[in-house]
Amino acid sequence: MGILADLVKYLGILFIGALIGYNDLVKGKLADNLGTIQDVCLLFLLFTMGISIGLNKEVVDNLLGLGLKALVISVCTIVFSIIAVRLVKRFVQTKGDTNEF
Amino acid sequence: MSFKIFLAVILGGLSGHFFVPASVSGSLGTIADIGLLVLLFFVGIDIGKQKGILNTVRSMGFKVLLVPLATIIGSVVGGMVASFFINVSIGEGGALGSGLGWYTLSATILSREGLVALSALAFLSNVFREVIGLIIMPTVAKKLGYLEVVSMAGATAMDTSLPMISATTDAETSIIAFVSGVICTSSVPIILPIIIKVFG
Repeated sequence: MGILADLVKYLGILFIGALIGYNDLVKGKLADNLGTIQDVCLLFLLFTMGISIGLNKEVVDNLLGLGLKALVISVCTIVFSIIAVRLVKRFVQTKGDTNEF
Repeated sequence: MSFKIFLAVILGGLSGHFFVPASVSGSLGTIADIGLLVLLFFVGIDIGKQKGILNTVRSMGFKVLLVPLATIIGSVVGGMVASFFINVSIGEGGALGSGLGWYTLSATILSREGLVALSALAFLSNVFREVIGLIIMPTVAKKLGYLEVVSMAGATAMDTSLPMISATTDAETSIIAFVSGVICTSSVPIILPIIIKVFG
């Protein structure tokens, strides 16, 4: 239920933002700095994520061994996701994306 | 931007290890949640301003769903392939891959199953997926294409990776990214336990 509630919450706030954006309710300086605000939020989120890692003793102590394994897994999942999406790309070509397979 | 991302994580890690008291751990989730909501709000405004894009998705129809489907299959297969190089079973590899970059959830599910080491691995590998993804996104967008960026981001395409996706691709791709992220996110709590059950 917690996951579902989060999903609804995330979708809800995005939808509210989209309604505000669609109806041009954001004007002036705020409208010009939307990108900057997003960047600051993203960096803040990554900072808090870093704190969570740094706080976890078990993870920090085994960082090297776990890190190497994790690296292999993450690289493989990234590579195979890219391969898989390339296989279906011909059906979902977007206008701005000029790179064809 | 990539350097700033790297720096933010390192600085966070160092302060977490040396300065921040462990008691903060609980409120950290709340803080991150608020940050995420603020971020999503502004991303929403950005998307709302792109009028006519919704029609594009409507015209694309169900084909858009191929992107998250390929992402999920690719990630699980990628995790299984990785299991041949490291000391985990093929099922565990698939389970780690099925986290799709959502490190908090996959780690929580696995620790609830009593798989502590695997849980830590899920946390790290999915964090790495997100961080590596964010770092190479500008290059992948330029050299490989936009949908590859979406696929790489997995579940994070709907939240933490979305600003970077919208910065390196275009508005149309950002919409697909959100759709893909929502479906990937929804799939993690379903697929991960199934893989653990089937292979465990």
